[in-house]
Amino acid sequence: MAQGVRDGIYDLLAARGVSRRDFVKYCGSVAALLGLSEMYAPQIVSAVEAGAKLKPTVWLDMGLCTGCTESLAQVDTPDVASIVLDLLSVNYMETIMAAAGTQAEEARTKTIADGGYVLVVEGAIMTGEGGNTLRIAGKTGLEILKEAAGKADAIICVGSCAVDGGWVNAAPNPAGGKGVLDVMPELKAKTINLPTCPVNPEWIVAMVVDVLLLGKLPAMDDKNRPTLIFGSTIHDNCPRRGHFENGEFVEAFGTEAEVKQWCLYKMGCKGPQTMTNCPSVRWNRRASWCVESGSPCIGCGHVYTNWVDASAPFLSRMTDVNLPGLGGVRPETVGTVVGAAAAAGLLVHGIASAATGRTSGPPMETEKAWDKKHKASKGGDN
Amino acid sequence: MARAIIDPVTRIEGHLRVECEVENGVITDAWSSGSLYRGMETVLKGRAPADAYYVSQRICGVCPISHGHASTKATEDALKVTPPDGARLVRNIIEGAETLHSHILWFYTLTALDYVDVVSALSANIADTYALAEKAGTAVADFGAIQKRLKTFVEGGQLSIFTNGYWGHPAMKLPAELNLIAVAHYLQALEIQAEAAAIIAVMGGKFPHFMTSIPGGTAWMPTEEKLDDVLFRWKTVSEFITNALIPDTLAIAPFYIEAATYGGGVKNFLSWGVFEDKSLDPLKRVMPRGAILDGKLELVQPDVAKIKEYVEHSWYSSPSGLNPAQGQTQAKFTSYDTNAQYSWIKAPRLDEKPMEAGPLSRMLVSYLAGVPEVKDLVDTTLTALGVAGKPEVLISLLGRLAARNLEAKFVADKMGEWIMELIGAVKGGDAKFFTEPTETNGQGAGLWEAPRGALGHFIDVKDGKIANYQVVSPSTWDCSPRDAAGVRGPLEEALVGTPIADIEKPLEALRIVHSFDP
Repeated sequence: MAQGVRDGIYDLLAARGVSRRDFVKYCGSVAALLGLSEMYAPQIVSAVEAGAKLKPTVWLDMGLCTGCTESLAQVDTPDVASIVLDLLSVNYMETIMAAAGTQAEEARTKTIADGGYVLVVEGAIMTGEGGNTLRIAGKTGLEILKEAAGKADAIICVGSCAVDGGWVNAAPNPAGGKGVLDVMPELKAKTINLPTCPVNPEWIVAMVVDVLLLGKLPAMDDKNRPTLIFGSTIHDNCPRRGHFENGEFVEAFGTEAEVKQWCLYKMGCKGPQTMTNCPSVRWNRRASWCVESGSPCIGCGHVYTNWVDASAPFLSRMTDVNLPGLGGVRPETVGTVVGAAAAAGLLVHGIASAATGRTSGPPMETEKAWDKKHKASKGGDN
Repeated sequence: MARAIIDPVTRIEGHLRVECEVENGVITDAWSSGSLYRGMETVLKGRAPADAYYVSQRICGVCPISHGHASTKATEDALKVTPPDGARLVRNIIEGAETLHSHILWFYTLTALDYVDVVSALSANIADTYALAEKAGTAVADFGAIQKRLKTFVEGGQLSIFTNGYWGHPAMKLPAELNLIAVAHYLQALEIQAEAAAIIAVMGGKFPHFMTSIPGGTAWMPTEEKLDDVLFRWKTVSEFITNALIPDTLAIAPFYIEAATYGGGVKNFLSWGVFEDKSLDPLKRVMPRGAILDGKLELVQPDVAKIKEYVEHSWYSSPSGLNPAQGQTQAKFTSYDTNAQYSWIKAPRLDEKPMEAGPLSRMLVSYLAGVPEVKDLVDTTLTALGVAGKPEVLISLLGRLAARNLEAKFVADKMGEWIMELIGAVKGGDAKFFTEPTETNGQGAGLWEAPRGALGHFIDVKDGKIANYQVVSPSTWDCSPRDAAGVRGPLEEALVGTPIADIEKPLEALRIVHSFDP
């Protein structure tokens, strides 16, 4: 890259209060977020340097609660002002844009006419009542999506509603809420799905870097989810996993077991069948995440049916659920498999459970097998 | 005569269209149209009651805490379970954090761009800006660097979220230096709202949409480490409110003082009350329950049995005039016609009256109920604005704006007390946080307050499953269409009488809409 252009970018960043050092550090954290080695940081740096012009972005509000926009405002690095002012030119985003009505519509139609933009979709695509369950400026939400989708370079569906209708799609789906790819499957080649309710903002940033700066879509599974984010279960990476192994379970809310952060599996935790990296990325600038707060995971990252129908009742252990896809294979609805798999897991680790809702297995042992085995040996402070 | 149409109304939660009849530069009639229907009430039928807590909060991504709490309260009312006192404190703190988060976001991110000319800030004199900040007693920032950042941004030609804004509009009144201060605090507020939200994350897992205020109490167990985290985050947010939000409000208000003369709306106010005290009695809530009718500053008690929801002007085929405890929701789109049906919002009425919900309602009710800190805040502000002893001035656009920011100060101070109380309870070692519900049948109501106003969840539980579920949210009250008698909703009424300088850019109408924080 010509030195002049490079200097220009650092002048631009400096004017925006970003030092070169901060910038390189930021690229390192983005690399980590993408699951790349820090060695990739220089490549991200040069990719950013190449993009002196801010990428136009259209953020569509469909059948939404605005929670995913709210979630974006909770992003850790870079801060939200940097995203909407320094990384992207967010020409249309109803919740935060200055313009309204005609002036807002002009901003959207002009950006679409010019092409070369990223489209972000938040909320379910509303198909009920002839699509009139969502009306914007005299059009249906679906008409607005169709106008915007064709010329977009890439489409990022943020949150479960845009991915598969989310809670709006839950039975009996009275308003006809659906996911973007359900109504426009032809967009599959350029769409990234980021489920959960709301979306985790760190993932949006990672995708922005992937699409804009590395210039490609990330590796994705059969449901267009980036595999780096949605490739393993919450249970696999849960900080409470050790307690699961030890057979230490929360049996009721408000108890000492909760203070000790024991495993919430018996309280209905959907961590074993939910594939996201929540335990490592965490939420709200990494302040905490669902399981750490004491609630079982409610499986809001499910994508094979909407997460509410897949995971409710949330405070009951499931014996009939959709297991997440294994190796990209469409999962089957299985009644016995989860019971058997869970039982197998418990047995392998030398424990059993008398939890209500479990289909089989011997009663819970009063003493953990590991303790029994190691009782005689010395250790720790002995 | 001409129609000014704002569709979409931006900088709100959800989807809204507003249509105004304008004559001789003043709005003479108005229509508010909610343009999204998702069907939450129907989705919840047949599910487990605790699932309503988790799902119903997803009605609103800005105020999920309030929906979650209203839902949990409805279920606790139905299943006759009383949460322990520890859970009361935890919920108050979470609710308070959401209120602060929401009010800060509303003032700086959603509303300020109606009053603050971002482009004008470019011509501010930096020395004068510091002098003005000093005089206003508001927080200073590196004003020079912020102006430079703004300049680079504007000269780059890509205005991003500021594209097509109302820069240079005749209704913009602030001097350049005050605009620059406001822009600096606009950027800072983005940080502070996230800090308030992080309090909820610590206690509730994440925000938006939290995990812990389940029927019976809370799943969150406080520890010293977590309480310390909460305390210091609260301190940061609280200081911003005292040192920026309040002085900014007082500095900006005099330039828009004519906004105290219109925008009062229906002059009926409803507050279900919010933040429980030890007794769990709604009349003794920290912000108590009450109503004000016909602009008469006297407190009356609202009777929930006298609520009716009308659908003559909404797209529903279910019966009109039902009480929400027996409410029904059956969608039926016809066409958009301001003379017939024009909204997905129902028209709730209390004793046949449209009721304004929100911080102005809560502050007026608390003022009349004699909550000492509220009386003090309101009286001091009235004196500062030169209208001492005239609380009726608050029934206006300006009053609605000021009430929200004064409430932020009140809630921030109360939160400090609750956090210390919770620390004391944990120290005592016998605090309880959860009581398991055992009943499987019952009807209940959760009458509560979201940051944007009175909120009711209504549940009917039969054999452990939800037989019926209804929600009357604050924006249902505020943004409602006409009722069976053709009476306008609060937003519609507040728009009438508002001056409009440029019908192509009806910024003043937008200000009225944003004052309700829909």
